[in-house]
Amino acid sequence: MQEQIVTQLRAIVGPEGILTDSTALLAYESDGLTLKRQRPELVLLPRDTNETAQCMRVLHEHGIPLVPRGAGTGLSGGATPVPNGVLVGTARMRDVLELNAEDRFARVQAGVVNVDLTRCCDGDGLFYAPDPSSQMACTIGGNVAENSGGPHCFKYGSTTRHILGLVIVTATGEVLHLDEADVDPAGFDLVGLFVGSEGMFGIATEITVQLTPIPPVTETLLAIFKALDPCCDAVSDLIAARLEPSAIEILDKLAIQAVEASVFAAGYPQEAEAVLLLEVEGRESAVEDTVERMLPILEAHGLLEVRRARDAGERRKLWAGRKGAFGAMGRIAPDLYVADVVVPRTRLREIVRYATDVCSERNLKISNVFHAGDGNIHPNISYDRRDEEEVARVLEAGDLIMETCIKYGGSLSGEHGVGLEKQAMMSRLFTPDDLSVMERVRRCLDPDGRLNPGKMFPVRSCKEVRPQLAGSPGEST
Amino acid sequence: MSTFSKEAGAALIEHALSLDCIHCGLCLHTCPTYQLTGNESASPRGRIHLMRAEAEGRIEPDHGFEEAMDSCLLCLRCESVCPAGVSFESMMEDCRDGLDSVRPKGWLVRVVRRIGFGHILPSRRGIRLALGALKLAQVLGLTRVASTLLGARGRALGSLPPVPPRAERQPLNLAAPTPGSESSQAWLMEGCVMPELFGRVNRASATVLAAAGVHCRTHAEHTCCGALHAHNGDLTGARELARSTIIAFESSARIPVVINSAGCGSHMKEYPRLFSDDPEWLERARAFSSRVVDFTEFLAAPERLNPLKSRLGPSQSGTLAFDDPCHLCHGQGVRSAPRTLLASIPGAEVVELEDPEACCGSAGIHSMLRPEDSSALLAEKLEDLERSGAQTLVTANPGCHMQWAGGLTQANSPKQVQHIAEVLAQALKPNAS
Ligand SMILES: Cc1cc2nc3c(=O)[nH]c(=O)nc-3n(C[C@H](O)[C@H](O)[C@H](O)COP(=O)(O)OP(=O)(O)OC[C@H]3O[C@@H](n4cnc5c(N)ncnc54)[C@H](O)[C@@H]3O)c2cc1C
Ligand code: SF4
Ligand code: SF4
Repeated sequence: MQEQIVTQLRAIVGPEGILTDSTALLAYESDGLTLKRQRPELVLLPRDTNETAQCMRVLHEHGIPLVPRGAGTGLSGGATPVPNGVLVGTARMRDVLELNAEDRFARVQAGVVNVDLTRCCDGDGLFYAPDPSSQMACTIGGNVAENSGGPHCFKYGSTTRHILGLVIVTATGEVLHLDEADVDPAGFDLVGLFVGSEGMFGIATEITVQLTPIPPVTETLLAIFKALDPCCDAVSDLIAARLEPSAIEILDKLAIQAVEASVFAAGYPQEAEAVLLLEVEGRESAVEDTVERMLPILEAHGLLEVRRARDAGERRKLWAGRKGAFGAMGRIAPDLYVADVVVPRTRLREIVRYATDVCSERNLKISNVFHAGDGNIHPNISYDRRDEEEVARVLEAGDLIMETCIKYGGSLSGEHGVGLEKQAMMSRLFTPDDLSVMERVRRCLDPDGRLNPGKMFPVRSCKEVRPQLAGSPGEST
Repeated sequence: MSTFSKEAGAALIEHALSLDCIHCGLCLHTCPTYQLTGNESASPRGRIHLMRAEAEGRIEPDHGFEEAMDSCLLCLRCESVCPAGVSFESMMEDCRDGLDSVRPKGWLVRVVRRIGFGHILPSRRGIRLALGALKLAQVLGLTRVASTLLGARGRALGSLPPVPPRAERQPLNLAAPTPGSESSQAWLMEGCVMPELFGRVNRASATVLAAAGVHCRTHAEHTCCGALHAHNGDLTGARELARSTIIAFESSARIPVVINSAGCGSHMKEYPRLFSDDPEWLERARAFSSRVVDFTEFLAAPERLNPLKSRLGPSQSGTLAFDDPCHLCHGQGVRSAPRTLLASIPGAEVVELEDPEACCGSAGIHSMLRPEDSSALLAEKLEDLERSGAQTLVTANPGCHMQWAGGLTQANSPKQVQHIAEVLAQALKPNAS
């Protein structure tokens, strides 16, 4: 990077807001998907909308590609740097700008961490509903860009249902206020368009979120099963019976064992083949009624035992175990590939079985932790990235699972986004026409394709992308 | 599966440990240095990633690498939240020890190491002389002069608590009891600087233990456990002090060793790690470490808590807030014991800080080496204390004690800091018998 550009940028963000040391930069070479790595040229950490806009203008002037980054917990390579590119991080944008308990909204900077948002409105009897398992670290900006989900999104809907307004900075450094104080905005729903844009439409700097009242009663159940298959079937039947708890999560045996060995040990029975974590919320009588009607369905599928959390502490523990599950896989192998696909819920059992078979045929260790209620499964494949041959087997298994999901009428991404991980698969799900429409929408906001280039679109099918920017990042090792 | 040999840069880093990190990022937000800077190379995940890259020969231990490692507080909060069970402390200790062998050191670090670690801490006489000199300097106002001359780095000197008068700087000299039941006996480890700067805390600890029916004894010669050495890249010195500590307490193999300094206790519980390549000492270290127990943990056990409760009268310290020392909550996993003890004081009003497990910035000698970072962390803690409305901040570690006291003095705050032993001792009713 030319010294003069660096000087210009440093003047905007101050010496603490720019990282140029090549060793420090290496810490940014991947997000939660460690298969792909690329050291950024520079990291910028602006403090507000204004600084972000100024930085973007400089980058625009010099035609430099860039990638927005929150906490880098993404699992699809969305925040992985691109060759010759800059990272613009929100780690120093962590202020809650406004909290309005009466009208139930908050306006925050994009780098506010998900769990902090809920903590700050807890005293007012409110919470921020989307609760990705990474919530103790991931940012609201990252959640918006990935349209993240979480266990409770089964009832409350994913991020997009909770975003009221955005301030975004575009690729050229223009600041757009996509505010929607009204419930139904006049004109296009541009906020809805931006949510899920994977860092390709602009950088969100301020976000207005809707807050949800904490339900009067919450009941958390841990249902323990003899086998994984009937556990999946139980979920389909619960939903067919229109019994809708607010969260339905499955963990299989390997996941249970990893969690129980970790600091988040939740008391899941280690001998169980699968557990179902269920939460029912609402008024007391309704909660009791739902629980009563759920039990026979669970019993019909080989339920061994049900445990009820006795208090908030126990409930927290059960959830902490679930949310620490991916990380706990670090005990099994150095790396983890977290697939993220969706199938119609009636096919849960089939796809889980298929994923298990595909992995065991390839001698890969697989565990399952997933949002069963949404039909969103996460086969977690443990591997060691230093073993190239094993990496190839992992990628092959991932592709086969994705293909089968599409065949079952499902989708490529439940909540982690496409990023680098699933871009090649996009052409299986979409026709060239579909992709070209998407590309055109993108060009409206980013005519040069400088924001997060080389991601999401299958490299071959988007010919418009300038060759020097299209290079997919990564020595993939 | 290919495994890396211990060649290349691996002398610096225990490569195998770095493989436990799955790069999930869940530790980022709780790391104080990441919160301060927003820089991922100053986060646990970033540091581990760089250690691994170094061990794999992808980078050199250059200035940027040193900066990433030196800025870590070793507060261990990352270990408390890491689902993969990464052994961050041992990785960082190894890494600093390795770095120490390859890099030239700044003058301040050299002075602290050579004189402080080498000569002062390991001997009672050395500590005596040093503290005597400090006392003289304080009386003559020299510390103020020095702290001005040294700029930010000297702030620590200026904020050191006044060295108490000589009469208060005496070790306890508690002898073994006349033969009787072993179960109610304990060693009270006095520590290196504790008897000099915090003699009153040691006395309070002994008084409270006695009220709980425990006969305490102290060791006349033993001083330093080597925790500061291990944290600051001197594993050789740390091993030497660990051996002498183990020897000092080995003859009474069944008597628990009670520690009122969380940093030391945390380190001594991990002694076996220092001897992983030395079977004989490993065994001895294991035996010793299994006897080490924190003062609060020891007292909160029912057989001691019940007699103690019957002796406690009304609190003398106003509204209390306990601030978890990092090496108690993250290092030893002790969280409820101090709260149980405070709740046992009749009528005591105890409030919680919003973030009691956040580091106060003391972090061993970090406050001396990186005063700006340390002040920034302390400032947040002081605000938290202010909001809590507590009058007395309760701690269980001398480093935190000094850090808080310095901060409160500078802010001209009427609030005070006490070690939990002091709070309990002041609440004791006069013995009826
Ligand atoms: C242990 C673990 C559990 C997880 N559980 C879940 C889960 O339950 N549900 C779920 O949905 N996801 C989950 N994830 C994935 C991940 O946490 C989410 O995708 C999260 O939203 C990413 O947030 P982040 O701040 O880390 O963003 P990053 O990873 O830094 O970035 C993600 C994407 O957003 C873009 N971006 C970031 N900030 C902005 C901004 N301000 N403006 C525009 N674009 C931006 C980046 O360019 C990138 O494309 C999990 C990840 C881990 C490691
Ligand atoms: S939480 Fe543990 S496994 Fe996850 S990034 Fe941090 S150190 Fe690594
Ligand atoms: S020990 Fe503390 S400062 Fe160091 S990486 Fe862990 S959390 Fe951060």
